[in-house]
Amino acid sequence: MATAKKVNIRISPKQRFETFAYMFMRMSGLVLLFLAVGHVLIQLILNDVHNLTLQFVADQWNSWGWRAYDILLLFFAVTHGYNGLRNILEDYIHNEWLMNVLYYVLSVFVIATVLWSAFAIATFPTA
Amino acid sequence: MKASLRVRRYSPDKGSSWWGDYTLDNVNPNDSILDLLHRIKWEQDGSLTLRRSCAHGVCGSDAMRINGANALACKTLVARLKKNEKDTQVKIQVEPILGLPVIKDLVVDMEPFFEHYRSVLPYFINDQEIPADGRERLQTQEDRARFDDTTKCILCAACTTSCPSFWANGKYVGPAAIVQAHRFIFDSRDEGAEARLNIANENFGVWRCRTAFNCTNACPREIEVTKAIAEVKMALTTGVVA
Repeated sequence: MATAKKVNIRISPKQRFETFAYMFMRMSGLVLLFLAVGHVLIQLILNDVHNLTLQFVADQWNSWGWRAYDILLLFFAVTHGYNGLRNILEDYIHNEWLMNVLYYVLSVFVIATVLWSAFAIATFPTA
Repeated sequence: MKASLRVRRYSPDKGSSWWGDYTLDNVNPNDSILDLLHRIKWEQDGSLTLRRSCAHGVCGSDAMRINGANALACKTLVARLKKNEKDTQVKIQVEPILGLPVIKDLVVDMEPFFEHYRSVLPYFINDQEIPADGRERLQTQEDRARFDDTTKCILCAACTTSCPSFWANGKYVGPAAIVQAHRFIFDSRDEGAEARLNIANENFGVWRCRTAFNCTNACPREIEVTKAIAEVKMALTTGVVA
């Protein structure tokens, strides 16, 4: 008795930005869970919120590890939020021209925010 | 018991909509909402218009928004809408399903829904020669079980019209169309998976799903709709239909 082959076929669908964005949202969400919870734990629970001074930040950023941690948190938080906002705008704005304008404005804003904030963290004087 | 019904009415002649208030006595908790709507139409206001056929949850004609949630009027019992077991009065609000043009009262134009349904090639595709014995193409029980859940769809549109993404933009193919695509994509006998996945991959395909889970809650056949959509997304992401 012949039966059809078991389903396990390979396909090569056209790679779209949305496929990448979908995976990025899930992966960045997972990374953010650890980074953001760690951040809250360190800043608000292990250390009293009243001790959060500029000196506290400077002391923490003496270590390049913590600078990298904060740059990663910044990158994933901004890009994850950006993609969520882009999804909402795409749902509700049906005018293609307006959507394209907003898309580029938002992209420039996000890239600029990540770059200047990362620059500020990286060059923060700790002495 | 007594039932107070608030029904969303729409007259295409007047071009206006309003709430119709109706009170029914001698309501049995085991009556369905469809029974109550029939009583209104037959005993109080013959102009009330609704769509129904089998009245037993099989044909999918009478999907409505009942107390704010999509359901089949024939499968929703009064007892389920009572707030407390001992209540002798129940308030029920009935509206047409959202996101599709209303034709009259509770009847909506299903054509945009069926247009999306047709777009995913919801039919068996296999150009191979038929088996030598001239009979059906066989498959294992495991292969059949792979897509069993999505074979249950009755195209009532309760899922699609409960979806916020579909409300926001009617171009989104919607959960029901993706469920139909899933039913054939994961069928071992079918050979149209790639064509359907390419359609699902388009701008208004699966990526418009924001996993709100309204569709899963609304499905009167208890299909795990959001899970089916996620499986199509994973097939697109990994390039493997398994």
